[in-house]
Amino acid sequence: MIIPIRCFTCGKIIADKWEIYEERVKNGEHPKDVLDSLGIKRICCRRMFISFRDLLDEISRFEQTPK
Amino acid sequence: MSIKILELSDDGMYLKILIEDFPKEFVNSLRRIILAEVPTMAIEDVWIVKNSSPLYDEMLAHRLGLIPLTTDLESYVLPEECECKGEGCPMCQVAFTLEKQGDEHNIMVYSTDLKSEDEKIQVAAKIPIVKLNAGQSIILEAYAKLGKGITHAKWQPVGTCAYKYMPEINLRTDLCEMCEECVNQCPRHILEIVNEPFHSIAINDIENCTMCKICEEVCEFGAINISWHDDVFIFTIESTGALPALKILNTAIEILRNKAKNLLTKIEENVE
Repeated sequence: MIIPIRCFTCGKIIADKWEIYEERVKNGEHPKDVLDSLGIKRICCRRMFISFRDLLDEISRFEQTPK
Repeated sequence: MSIKILELSDDGMYLKILIEDFPKEFVNSLRRIILAEVPTMAIEDVWIVKNSSPLYDEMLAHRLGLIPLTTDLESYVLPEECECKGEGCPMCQVAFTLEKQGDEHNIMVYSTDLKSEDEKIQVAAKIPIVKLNAGQSIILEAYAKLGKGITHAKWQPVGTCAYKYMPEINLRTDLCEMCEECVNQCPRHILEIVNEPFHSIAINDIENCTMCKICEEVCEFGAINISWHDDVFIFTIESTGALPALKILNTAIEILRNKAKNLLTKIEENVE
């Protein structure tokens, strides 16, 4: 749905780096290089980034908006 | 006993130290106190006035709780030790307010939009909380309190706090045939071929070794052997941003000292 604030396994704060990661990957950089430069070293935190898909925009379309 | 700082990041949030000649029980108790007993600030109560965002109230509150807050351990006390007995007073809690209106550009609400009542207690990272479309809005009030990691992981001051033994790589040059298999197989690229002063295998960065023993397995001649020093530790503290790593270590040592002191006074009382 939306990027989890912490890594599920180790508890490292990852959400503050998501938008930078998303932007740089969209601009054609390899995810490996982006994660290395952001200082995401462990496999548990790295999988949080590479396996995440942002679905909040999809969901918010169906959300009831108050009149 | 000796301590050497191997690495301290510029913002002070990452610390790697080398501890020599120190009992492992103490190193482990330090680790456990850092994980479970060092108090930090985190949002505990959330009063939601209005929430028409795509996330449920509970999810929103959970996300708010996980945000790291810069902690001032001197001016705040734990709610259970406070004079108000945990009901909530300026000594033990800080109020945050968040008010945001969405528009057609899909506004992202960040943790930095939280307005703190106390300048010293601020959010430590710019974290996306929720996205608001046109017509959606959030109005809420949140209360941060001191707490310990033993109650909930949001109060842990560290992401990772771990130690490992110092690895030791024994190379038997008389058995080594220089097949270079261990150099190629090492996942951390610790072994290296050097030609100076003579053609041999050198150890590059031994702290990086994970003691996976792949090099030992691929060596047909038994020329390489991995072991570790029993009383040399590499201790890593990776703070979430709530407290600087050195402050976490200092507080943990203080807590351990008080625990030992309490135990001693209890024993002395009973002896008398």
